[in-house]
Amino acid sequence: MTRSGRWAEWGVSLPSFVWLTVFFVVPTLIVLSIAFHAPSSDGGFASGFTMETWKAVVRTPYKEIVWRTIWISAVTTAVCILLSLPCAYSIARMNTRWRAIVAGLIMLPFWTSFIVRVFAWRTLLNPEGFLQHVLIALGLADASVSLNYNSGAILVVSVYSFLPFAIMPIYTAAEKFDFSLMEAARDLGARSFFAFRKIFLPGVKRGVVSAILMVFIPAIGSYVIPDLVGGRDSELIGNKIYQRTFPDRNLPHASALAAVMGFSVLLPLAWVAWMIKRQDAREAKRLAEATARKLSGGAA
Amino acid sequence: MADEFLVFDHVTKRFGALTAVDDVSFSIKKGEFFSLLGPSGCGKTTLLRMVGGFERPDSGRIYLDGKDITDAPPNMRRVHTVFQNYALFPTMTIWDNIAFSLRLAKKPKAEIEESVDAILEMIRMSDHAWKYPSQLSGGQKQRVAIARALVDRPQVLLLDEPLAALDLKLRQHMLLELDTIHDQVGITFVYVTHDQGEAMSLSDRIAVMNLGKVEQLDTAAKIYEAPRSSFVAAFIGDTNFLVGEIVSTEGDYCTIKVEGLGAVSAYNDRKLDVGRKVHLSVRPEKIRVTLNPPPPEKGAGINIFTAEVTDVIYQGVYTKYWLKSGGRSMSALKPHSRFLLDQESITWKDRVYLWWHPDDGYMVENFSPMDVSLIQDPPAPKESSTP
Amino acid sequence: MKRSKFAVVVLGLVMVFLYLPIVVLVANSFNEAKFGGEWAGFTFKWYKALFSSQNHAIWEAFQRSIIVATFATFASCVIGTTAAVALHRWKGRLQSIHYGLIYTPLVMPEILMGISLLMMFTAAGIGCGLTTIWIAHTTFCVSYVAMTVLARLQDFDDRITEAAYDLGAGPFYAFFHVVLPILLPGIVAGGLLAFTLSIDDFVITFFVTGPGADTLPLKIYSMIKHSRQMPVINSLSTLMLLMTCLLVAASRLVANRRRRVRTR
Repeated sequence: MTRSGRWAEWGVSLPSFVWLTVFFVVPTLIVLSIAFHAPSSDGGFASGFTMETWKAVVRTPYKEIVWRTIWISAVTTAVCILLSLPCAYSIARMNTRWRAIVAGLIMLPFWTSFIVRVFAWRTLLNPEGFLQHVLIALGLADASVSLNYNSGAILVVSVYSFLPFAIMPIYTAAEKFDFSLMEAARDLGARSFFAFRKIFLPGVKRGVVSAILMVFIPAIGSYVIPDLVGGRDSELIGNKIYQRTFPDRNLPHASALAAVMGFSVLLPLAWVAWMIKRQDAREAKRLAEATARKLSGGAA
Repeated sequence: MADEFLVFDHVTKRFGALTAVDDVSFSIKKGEFFSLLGPSGCGKTTLLRMVGGFERPDSGRIYLDGKDITDAPPNMRRVHTVFQNYALFPTMTIWDNIAFSLRLAKKPKAEIEESVDAILEMIRMSDHAWKYPSQLSGGQKQRVAIARALVDRPQVLLLDEPLAALDLKLRQHMLLELDTIHDQVGITFVYVTHDQGEAMSLSDRIAVMNLGKVEQLDTAAKIYEAPRSSFVAAFIGDTNFLVGEIVSTEGDYCTIKVEGLGAVSAYNDRKLDVGRKVHLSVRPEKIRVTLNPPPPEKGAGINIFTAEVTDVIYQGVYTKYWLKSGGRSMSALKPHSRFLLDQESITWKDRVYLWWHPDDGYMVENFSPMDVSLIQDPPAPKESSTP
Repeated sequence: MKRSKFAVVVLGLVMVFLYLPIVVLVANSFNEAKFGGEWAGFTFKWYKALFSSQNHAIWEAFQRSIIVATFATFASCVIGTTAAVALHRWKGRLQSIHYGLIYTPLVMPEILMGISLLMMFTAAGIGCGLTTIWIAHTTFCVSYVAMTVLARLQDFDDRITEAAYDLGAGPFYAFFHVVLPILLPGIVAGGLLAFTLSIDDFVITFFVTGPGADTLPLKIYSMIKHSRQMPVINSLSTLMLLMTCLLVAASRLVANRRRRVRTR
């Protein structure tokens, strides 16, 4: 590249580079480094290096909270995917006009205030609320059952909040899927569920993978949902980070928890990136081999 | 000076391990319609982009009208390009697209209006001035792209496969139009194409390129009739290659011993000596195919061989024959006249005479066995379907 | 082929699930009863309460949200667009680092960004307020704008920039007269996303806010937390929903009309 080209590249890249370095990379490094210090009495952190904070993170009560967060996130993700697959399938089978309408309706809640939606659920699950009344009327529950303030409520509201993020990538993949393949399979005698599992599912695999990430990552980082509909025994990492930061002023513990949350997000992400890379490499190799075979065949 | 308007002086361009343009030197005349012809990847587009200023050569210089333009950025040379996909500005009207270069040059408003209206008139698009590019057809976009590049009278107009995206009928129409526009404006055109038909019908001169080098630079007729290399012979049109050794020379002619076929007489323009191994290119349409031997008044010294017809492909304008003579496969084209009256047509398995005049064969200077693959192969033999 | 009935039934149930809380919320905003479990009669009184002087603070918070979102949108559009242009134009090592820098904030949980910015501001001795909220919002919006514009650049024909240079334009003229108008719909879409995300953000704002700098989501949160004037939140939410729907419909209409003009 010419010298002026390199200057231009730096010039155009500079604003975002500087902004994100100062306000994203540096703060992240600060958080990581604070976790190696001990808390000080004035709400800051002491100067000496220590591993005590990290040891505390793997012990009670943090251990339970970390596992609960991962567990609830995993179940949320599973439920979202199971609901999204038939939804995406049936939207993709509609005509263009209906597709746009239904996809729009699914995304519409996303454009409305998140906090308002969680609030709506809080009222809905309230002991005086609509759902409790319905369940009592149906004889499925009595007034003593609490719908709100437990892990179940967190799960329902999480599924509600993240479902559009699961449906959209699978739907995008399903839109490109060639449905005549399904018909061919049916034509050859496959039962419809078999065709769905063996033909449709592999066809939208990449959509499913990105749907998993789109749900799992925000679920791990969730704060508002457990705070508003969760209870005292259903705390997640997000709540604990807040509690250690503000009421307790224990910044090293908050930082260490934040680092744990960061790793729980980065690990599945790195794994998926690695899988995709490996698959791409395998496909590229297959293509190269096929080309080489064709070339040598052509020359012979 | 006029003969050396646009000069390439030992120009080389590499992309990694690939040498796209390999030590190319030639010059283009002022006002000429010049074509760069070659298969994809031969370096013709890279050469064009270096004239436009989008690529810089690794070595060598490019001169325009005596000035070294090798390192000038694209906006500092009076050279405009017509891109293959037109590259019209989608957010501007046709009028604004065409006025773009004039506005940049800060021309007075009245002059801009006059020039744009005049060129719109020339391309017969005055009624579409206020439309957007997405509202035009392919041929219309093409004309606008040409007008946009011509409106401020550049020194050279570069055309990068401008007709590739059009359908056949429109392409033929645009060929005539391009020819007319070139005559009207008198600007030097450099035209890049892989289509020999386009290049031959438009160009004053053609440079045939292969693997980054110019194989031959000549007029269309010279390139077709006297191809210097096997590549030029095979890439432009169809041909038969006969390999042999010169056994005797008589004046301007020589006799070549071709294995399997026998003695072949050919025009010896390069005065090659006895014993030289040569490659003779004989184009299929030069070869006559008849059931009876040629009449004696066709002259002595013509090449006559007997052959068996192995395949016949009727192609409308002519019929293509595949013939086998002495174990060697050859192709010949026979145009039709009085087809319905002339019932004694030649068909499969007939014994025929094939003959051509020594002047109709040309001995190429450079032969590469790879180029033989450019020639159409004979159809696979169909032995099981004997009638 | 027979459509799968099962899949359609699931889709229908999911739609009910998605809209049930919203419908109940809207209904409750007109409900006389304070706790919305039963229908106690139609009323506008919660709307009247919303506009009374007692709830002046809500509108101040709303105003702050709009101001922050506007500035964050502007800043992130400028920074995000230059980032996208750089990512599209060059493909070297620098840009793969650049891409990582743009991509990572998208997958980072908000609460991490919130706590890390808070700690940096504290460490640097910067007092939190509207400015720190603006910085935080710009930081996460840049990535969204950059990705939206980058997607638009994917179908951008680089020959068009070359054509501009070819006809005599310098890099700046070509960018502002040719490239930018083509990218504008992408930038507007990215800006719209940035504005929505900024207006809606709770978690990050919660961490970097300062005294007297509450935005609307923070205000709503504190009302929920302290169980104050719950029905007023219903009426406020209903108005917000209405506004969002109108905006979405309007943007759809504009997009459709433009497409029709183009293809005519």
